Amino acid sequence: MSLVVIAETFRRHATSLAYFGYLGLLALLSMGVSLFDRPAAAWPSLITLLALVTGSGAIGPEFSSGTLQLILVKPLTRVAYLLSRVTGIVLVIWLAAVVCAVFEIAGRAFWGHSAPITAIGSGLLNVMADTVLAVSLLALLGSITRAYFNIAIYLFVLIGLSVTEVVLGFIRQSGNALGQFLAQHTGIDRVVIAIESNLFPDAPTSLEPRWMVMVLSNAAVALLLACLAFRRREVPYGAD
Amino acid sequence: MSDSGVEVLSLRKSFRSRRRTQEVLQGIDLVVAPGEVVGLIGPNGAGKTTLMSCLLGFLHPDSGTITIGGRANDDLGVRRRTGFVPERMNFDRGATGGILLRYMARLAGLPHAELDARCTAMLERLGLTAAADKRLSQYSRGMLQRIGMCQALIHEPSFVFLDEPTSGLDPNGVLLVRDLITEQKQRGAAVLLNSHQLAEVEKVCDRVVFLHRGVIQRSETLRHDDHIVVAVTLLPGSIDPGEVERIAGVAAQNDVIIVSVETDAAIASLVRELVSAGAGIVDVRRHTADLEGIFRGAT
Repeated sequence: MSLVVIAETFRRHATSLAYFGYLGLLALLSMGVSLFDRPAAAWPSLITLLALVTGSGAIGPEFSSGTLQLILVKPLTRVAYLLSRVTGIVLVIWLAAVVCAVFEIAGRAFWGHSAPITAIGSGLLNVMADTVLAVSLLALLGSITRAYFNIAIYLFVLIGLSVTEVVLGFIRQSGNALGQFLAQHTGIDRVVIAIESNLFPDAPTSLEPRWMVMVLSNAAVALLLACLAFRRREVPYGAD
Repeated sequence: MSDSGVEVLSLRKSFRSRRRTQEVLQGIDLVVAPGEVVGLIGPNGAGKTTLMSCLLGFLHPDSGTITIGGRANDDLGVRRRTGFVPERMNFDRGATGGILLRYMARLAGLPHAELDARCTAMLERLGLTAAADKRLSQYSRGMLQRIGMCQALIHEPSFVFLDEPTSGLDPNGVLLVRDLITEQKQRGAAVLLNSHQLAEVEKVCDRVVFLHRGVIQRSETLRHDDHIVVAVTLLPGSIDPGEVERIAGVAAQNDVIIVSVETDAAIASLVRELVSAGAGIVDVRRHTADLEGIFRGAT
């Protein structure tokens, strides 16, 4: 990996006005949710949203903009570049997550509430792992598409799997031939649920090592596939 | 690492779509020696950008070999010694020119201790010192071209690939790029210049290859190491043709003498002799291939 690329990726995101604005919003929100009983209540979802927005720019848009060509002639392997980009983006997201956790703890102290450090810490670690998976999946999709198609495919699959689950449930309950077939072959449901829970897992309320290992393993597989695709991908530029 | 330049042998590249396969490069053989500037010219769709993309590793050739400095073109050691100026500079437009340059220099492996001095010198050389802290979004096309040259040359590469480096530049910028290309040649770098600006190609290139429909149709040497070809235009009727032949060793055609000499001093001597013999000299210039003629004839 390249520290130069990690630092530049971090700088590029962390110095943007949009990021600062979002960070400010997250800090205020974290102070606000500290008034409620449930720790790490709202901000993890917003951190996941940040992961989707920043992760979508990991590699896909660079194909279209032509930025990549400047990098690919430098003494840096494509795999190292991809992994460094992902690391830089993940660090930016983690910074925002840490800010949220710190502001929630500070808020609870400010309002005179108890600060359940363990629960907030668990929420923080869970969302950190979750964002690694989200960014890795976006990097994988970005390495095989152009521009922001990666986020479009990501959302399409996310929504598509949920819709598929609901549709399968309706068909099963209808009692017709297809419904009976689905009732007899529960494996189809299990496959859809397994895909959804592997790609878009719901974070547990506490720290669960098995969940963490699953999420990070899936992220590693996504990154491996992204590296394989990116290594062989052609990067045309300009036109004759 | 070997000091050989850029060598391309039997390079083929095609693009496949559902309906058809288009062979864009059909067996390219090309050598760019160290210290040589080779111009790549040809009409739109000839395959120039595809060739450049294959050389730089953006595209994977179907067959053939590319070696740069005696190694594969994706070798990291080769890339450490490679500079590339794209036709259009695309980078994070929120970054300043200075930040871009530092980033590129660090990626190119420039030692940290030399970074500041090299960046400052390069920005000054390209006339961008005042714009170093400006965002790239505020840069004009010409300024983007200049920063593109900066990032490509800051680490003094041995292999330089330039894609339309003068497009969008004002006359001063064009002169600057010309000087920079000459400096790279004098340093011993192998330079491949892809350009539609035939006049520029003629001024800076030692050799030009004409690419058409995926094949190199013609290769013309514009400059020789051991002699200079000069065209001397005479005032019509100012000197006897036999006298011209006696002095220059060749007959004038349409009042133009094209003669090969060894040194610049020999040019001055020839002109002096002609003037002494009563000739009126209208023009003296280095004679190169007629690129426009080649271009028109082949397309």
